[in-house]
Amino acid sequence: MNVIDRVAKMDRRIIFLLVALAVIIPLIAPLGLPVDITKPVRDVFDAVDTLPEGSIVVVSCDYDPGSEAELSPATAAFVEHCFRKNLRVYMMGLWPAGPDLGNLALEEIAVRYDKEYGIDYINVGYRPGGPVMLVSLGRDVGDIVRADHAGLPIDSFALGRAVKTARDMDFVMTLSAGDPGVLHWIIYFHARYGTPIGTATTAIMAPQQYPYLSSGQLVGLLGGLKGAAEYETLIDMKARAVAGMDSQSIVHLLLVVFIVIGNIVLLYEKRKK
Amino acid sequence: MLATVGIWIAALLTLAIYSFLYKDNPVYKVAENIFVGVSAGYWAVVLWFNYAWPNLFEPLIVRGNFIYLIPVLIGLMMFAPLIPKVSWLIRIPLTFTMGVAMSLVVLQRIQGEIFPQLQATFLPLSGVSAMQLVTNILIIFGVISTLIYFYFSKAHKGVLGVFAKLGIWFMMIAFGASFGYTVMARISLLIGRVYFLLHNWLNII
Repeated sequence: MNVIDRVAKMDRRIIFLLVALAVIIPLIAPLGLPVDITKPVRDVFDAVDTLPEGSIVVVSCDYDPGSEAELSPATAAFVEHCFRKNLRVYMMGLWPAGPDLGNLALEEIAVRYDKEYGIDYINVGYRPGGPVMLVSLGRDVGDIVRADHAGLPIDSFALGRAVKTARDMDFVMTLSAGDPGVLHWIIYFHARYGTPIGTATTAIMAPQQYPYLSSGQLVGLLGGLKGAAEYETLIDMKARAVAGMDSQSIVHLLLVVFIVIGNIVLLYEKRKK
Repeated sequence: MLATVGIWIAALLTLAIYSFLYKDNPVYKVAENIFVGVSAGYWAVVLWFNYAWPNLFEPLIVRGNFIYLIPVLIGLMMFAPLIPKVSWLIRIPLTFTMGVAMSLVVLQRIQGEIFPQLQATFLPLSGVSAMQLVTNILIIFGVISTLIYFYFSKAHKGVLGVFAKLGIWFMMIAFGASFGYTVMARISLLIGRVYFLLHNWLNII
């Protein structure tokens, strides 16, 4: 049996082991590979960076624990940028678990920047209803949001009282893992009320967003963990996403090698037949 | 203390699920069944507290707003097929749902998706940089050739055939990009789990 025959009959668990090592080793011993900034990420950064102090930014956490690994780092980096620019954060979510996941970053970062709940930031929790809810939200927020995520009346908070319609929202950032998510924000909110929308999506969803970037319906895009790493780099807060980029690059290289080897084996076996 | 217990449970369940990569085993089965059970319970609570109670039962029972009996009645008609004699009643809620969805979706899709996307293909071919010109030509040809591929009323021969073939190429490139992003997403999830194990659980990074 020659080398190619051995490779063809290789136990697939060896591949799992190699992938695991390619993830674990760079996390323990970082290589510090550079993170290039792409235009869609810079566009989100610039849009937020140029907002006047005190502007209200809606952060919609439209994801669940299944996509937490990709979208929580983006949430943290984005909220950090908002607080650094003294913007007010209005957190909500179209997915049940999203606002609670987002709240972990929100509360932790708010303490660091000495921000006060109800004045500088608020979390109004999960808002069910998808498209119908978004249409109503833009027209009259009071119809949709009567309490914050802890059940306290929304009118008891200054920031709650400040957001009445879509006109009071200066920017919407949707951290989106699927349906309902960024597409609904574009079609049912941006198209009707014109509020600028940026997004951070899972990598799987990222290619679908490019038509909306080129049509100007989206301000910018953070695609997957890579997008979050770029945003962390832009705000000079190298955290969880940047830490994962070395592993991501090494695994991608490994997969390219696997694809090449797989094709060589395939060609060899075809010729043998 | 509670957070530590949570981290240990999450870590052990993560390892239990990954043990399937070696081979199917009882530990994996236990973790899988816990996940199914917890998910079912979680969604039951979410649906009750976010949909059924605030939108129907609270206004009906607590506030005594009996107009809400109408949606109750329409909702119950969804179960009509269980009784063959009145199975036709299901048409009422279905028609209602379709009517509302059509009016909302069709209007907004045209306004929010079809028109802006169509507009985005009206791109200038002069007065732009060389790079932008190439990009614009690619977008215009990509859209036209892909649409031609999905035009089935005439055989894909001659000029139409050339454009249809070009459309296939554009779609294959798009599928390749999507696949690349999918691989990236799956690896990102693995990185997220490994980061959790090394950082939150073992505290070694």
